[in-house]
Amino acid sequence: MKVVTGVVGNDIHVVANRLIDLSLKARGYEVFNLGVNTYLEEFFDAVVETGADILLISSLNGEAEGWGREVKALKAEYKGLDDLIMMIGGNLTVGTGSADDIVPKYKNYGFDLVCHQIDLNTGLDMLADFIQQQPAKSTAL
Amino acid sequence: MNMSNKNLLIDVGSTYFKLCAPATNGSKTHLEQHFRNFNKSIFNDLMHKCGPTIDQFSKQNVYVCSSANGGLSTLIIGLTHTFSLKYATNIAFNSGINIIDTILYQDIGEASVPSDLIDVVIIVGGISSKAGAFNDDLYQYLHGVNYSNVVYVGNQHDAAQVQQQLPEVVVLPNIIDDRLHIVEEDLKAYLTSLYQQDIMGKEDIKDLYDITSNQIYSTPYIVNQTLPLIDASFSVVNPFILLDIGGATTDIHYSKDLVDENIVTENEFDRLVFKKLGVYKSRESLVFAAKGNEFVGELLMHLNVTEHIFEQHNDKATRILMQLAIFLVLCKMSHYRQSYINLKLLAINSIVLTGGITKVLSQSEVEDIIGFFYTKILTSSHRPVTIMDTDYAIWTLGSQSQQPTQTER
Ligand code: B12
Repeated sequence: MKVVTGVVGNDIHVVANRLIDLSLKARGYEVFNLGVNTYLEEFFDAVVETGADILLISSLNGEAEGWGREVKALKAEYKGLDDLIMMIGGNLTVGTGSADDIVPKYKNYGFDLVCHQIDLNTGLDMLADFIQQQPAKSTAL
Repeated sequence: MNMSNKNLLIDVGSTYFKLCAPATNGSKTHLEQHFRNFNKSIFNDLMHKCGPTIDQFSKQNVYVCSSANGGLSTLIIGLTHTFSLKYATNIAFNSGINIIDTILYQDIGEASVPSDLIDVVIIVGGISSKAGAFNDDLYQYLHGVNYSNVVYVGNQHDAAQVQQQLPEVVVLPNIIDDRLHIVEEDLKAYLTSLYQQDIMGKEDIKDLYDITSNQIYSTPYIVNQTLPLIDASFSVVNPFILLDIGGATTDIHYSKDLVDENIVTENEFDRLVFKKLGVYKSRESLVFAAKGNEFVGELLMHLNVTEHIFEQHNDKATRILMQLAIFLVLCKMSHYRQSYINLKLLAINSIVLTGGITKVLSQSEVEDIIGFFYTKILTSSHRPVTIMDTDYAIWTLGSQSQQPTQTER
């Protein structure tokens, strides 16, 4: 399966991005890494150009919330992204916050999987489970 | 480079002719500039005004470049703004093309059909493992378009189908590689050669082969060749932009370090064109753009004139229009006005001006506008150094560097 990934907005925290790239590849995904400092439109455009099945966004510096609010409206401008699996992780709020508040908020923004301060491997296991549950997609990996 | 001692260089622009002849009595080269007479053919007009000079040179010592024919018109159909359309636009500009329209493929069903003849349609989209990017919507749309050439530079999967549906299509390697990076060479070579054929095919230009036995090149191509040499002949500090504000269009050539974009290539310089921004043939659209810019009123006040200046046709009006053109171009490139690309204007160390503008405006008039722009729009006290190419050194340098290969025609 194809995954587009990167760090959203003006965020330059690169370490997690490198680890995500490596871990996804180790799990057999075909990875298109847009790196740090990536804008939402670039993410969706990359999905269109590559035909990716999954969009995995990370955010570390606290910007996620501002971008999250824009996701639904922007995605709606694209024709044919209905089957895209959308995932976000990292530090999804400024300062501290509880997953109980954060997760529903981001699901409402249009993300299928929300991993606030969740370790990468746990998050990628969640992704694998999610894919398993999707009848049409499960055979493609 | 000593070849220049016996060569005559001629540039045919949309508004002016320029001639550069070697010095006869020692020191300085001889430069002539003439306003074109549009009631005459280019050749007759040129011979009428410069015949005696031209007659002194044999055909193999005359080098001509031209931007008079406006260049090719291009329609780019691509999957996304960030990749396909941006990459193809970048390659087209760098190949000397001025007129570019784009269609986002998902909107092709609602896209209007251009009424004019399109010289070349470019279809692009998808990395090579992406399949099924294009379907009947594309062919239906193209059915209504009047075009001379069509080239496919998208994903490999769809190439066969495109070829089947459009037998005349030229298929070239994908301009998007598997890491979503740009691949320029093949499309650039294709467009550059189409452009050459176009120049040579134009009746008006064809006549010029009566006075030269060398290939006629497009002026932007020649200027682009000069850019790597510029800092050797001017006191230019990198990174720089070069503005060529002409009669019909404005050309900007810029160092790659000035963009933060996803376009990573080996070229050091890129080119960008504002097609309807000129002080003569495009005067009306320049005035229109000026009236739509909220800062222009303040700028006119700063220059001690009112909007009435737009209705006047005298030297003063031309000067003001040229100053406005500089301001509008800088605005278009800044974040203030999103365009195809945003340059990091605060990082620019030099702004080089060439073209007719250097004959009309003084250095301080130009610096005044640049200062106004940086203060008002960027709220910065940064002031790039302004360099005026008053004796067309950029063009002569480019023409000369072109010469060794020209004999192979
Ligand atoms: C190193 C660092 C920097 C370096 C970055 C260098 C670089 N180019 O990478 C520098 C000094 C430049 C920096 C700058 C800033 N930083 Co900083 N930085 C850190 C620090 C100390 C470590 C980050 C790191 O690399 N960790 C190692 C990696 C492996 O871990 P990770 O990033 O947490 O990622 C893991 C998980 O989050 C997860 N993950 C990440 N993405 C995703 C996605 C999915 C889907 C999943 C499942 C999992 C997942 O996987 C990774 C491995 O488990 C953290 C604090 C900390 N200890 O985490 C602050 C921290 C991230 N920075 C912070 C801030 C505020 C900033 C600045 C705004 C500071 C400032 N005022 O200037 C700037 C912002 C710059 C910018 N434009 O983005 C805050 C963010 C707070 C928030 N979200 O509320 C933190 C948390 C510090 C803090 N406690 O305040 N920073």
